[in-house]
Amino acid sequence: MEILRKLYEMTAFGSLIANPGPLLMLVIAAILLYLGIKKQYEPLLLIPIAFGVILANLPGGQMSVNPGEFIQLDGLKHLNVTPEGKEVLIDMEHRYLNLFEIAHEYGIMNFLYYMLIKTGLLPPIIFMGVGALTDFGPMLRNLRLSLFGAAAQLGIFTVLLVAIAFNFTPQEAGSLAIIGGADGPTAIYTTIKLAPHLLGPIAIAAYSYMALVPVIIPLVVKLTCSKKELKINMKEMDKLYPPKHKIKNLRAVKIAFPIVLGIVIAFFVPTAVPLLGMLLFGNLVKEVGSTTLRLSEAASGPIMNAATIFLGLTVGATMTSEVFLDVKTIGIIVGGFFAFAISVFGGIAAVKIYNLLAKKKINPLIGATGLSAVPMASRVANEVAVKYDPKNHVLQYCMASNISGVIGSAVAAGVLISFLGG
Amino acid sequence: MDQNFNLALQLMGVGMITVFFILFFIIILGNVIIRFVNRFIPEASVVVTSSVKKVSTTIDPKIMAAIVSAVKTVTGGKGNVVKIEKESK
Repeated sequence: MEILRKLYEMTAFGSLIANPGPLLMLVIAAILLYLGIKKQYEPLLLIPIAFGVILANLPGGQMSVNPGEFIQLDGLKHLNVTPEGKEVLIDMEHRYLNLFEIAHEYGIMNFLYYMLIKTGLLPPIIFMGVGALTDFGPMLRNLRLSLFGAAAQLGIFTVLLVAIAFNFTPQEAGSLAIIGGADGPTAIYTTIKLAPHLLGPIAIAAYSYMALVPVIIPLVVKLTCSKKELKINMKEMDKLYPPKHKIKNLRAVKIAFPIVLGIVIAFFVPTAVPLLGMLLFGNLVKEVGSTTLRLSEAASGPIMNAATIFLGLTVGATMTSEVFLDVKTIGIIVGGFFAFAISVFGGIAAVKIYNLLAKKKINPLIGATGLSAVPMASRVANEVAVKYDPKNHVLQYCMASNISGVIGSAVAAGVLISFLGG
Repeated sequence: MDQNFNLALQLMGVGMITVFFILFFIIILGNVIIRFVNRFIPEASVVVTSSVKKVSTTIDPKIMAAIVSAVKTVTGGKGNVVKIEKESK
């Protein structure tokens, strides 16, 4: 009998019966794995996140990420000797265990989390890869469509207001609201800076809604646009009202653009520089061409892939039952959807207002793609346009507002971090 | 609560204005770069070498220009297309 009791204590069954929360988390992980593997909803992120959730919730596995308080050295005093030989006690407030101590005390997942996530390293690294995959060409050819990328940030700031009304702190509300930017790395970066304890649910919500772009955009478009509006043919409009300037040397423009833009943004919104600076650097090495081909291939290939793996696993590992099974998670899931939908509506509304004032009409689908989610949002919008008129291909126009949406959401994140960051 | 709500309202105003301002500025900046490049460094037209024309007369000139342009881009202007022929099966 004693042997059986010891065996029972050795296994994880005892702790699972006492606290069944991890079992529920394993079910949630299984659902996420199903969505990633079978439904192919953002599989590159959802599968590592889901597996991170599994690892974190295996009892006794020591793979869950511990909150910041565990590694803080607050309250300790350090004896320091001044150059004059005086002994001074220095308060150790805001000092932390070093990475070796974290690995030794709390295991490798905490080491990875505090080294790669808490420092804010991985989202800019991923942005570098995104930059190396981004073509600013469609945006440069249709520059004025960039404004709709600004209008589509409306969801972020609207949900910020609503979340505060629902008792989220301003920092938590800012992290939740940024889901409306439809940009995974931006959402994660903002949350790391403002409310790291919500990282897991916010990352899940952001990537889930990005995967649901093919459902959300057509839904909002159907509710807000008429058939006549959706049949507006952008190429016909271009023939009727041709652009003033044709680009004579697109390659030179594409090389100059990230350099100049990076410098200008650094002056206006310095907090957006870690994200946008890396995005623009990645884009520059892509546009330079063959001489930096190895760099752009590394940025968009091995580096981005490795970053994605560690980002997914560590974010997943933050989702223990104590953190995830909370009323705020439901608020994040619901609020994230509204942030997303209102952002799509914001872009559409801006197009409608523009069409009231301008002769050259714009298809509202171009406004709907003003959020990030590149290039899926544009592809979905193009499919909607072709459904109403098989000859009306709006992809390259949507890409213009879609790419500007990436910049817009990073700027919005910069504003939130500037005002709400500690 | 009221204080937080006021902060959120303030952020909404500041945030939307900043995002619009930055993207509006990008439009101006983009146009300035385009005008500058058009004026000072307009692209030299792609010249298809005569040797290629002579050898592969059956290939569409547009396709040939695309191949020459691709080789030029990948090799950083150092590579030359000398001959294009279809692979015999």
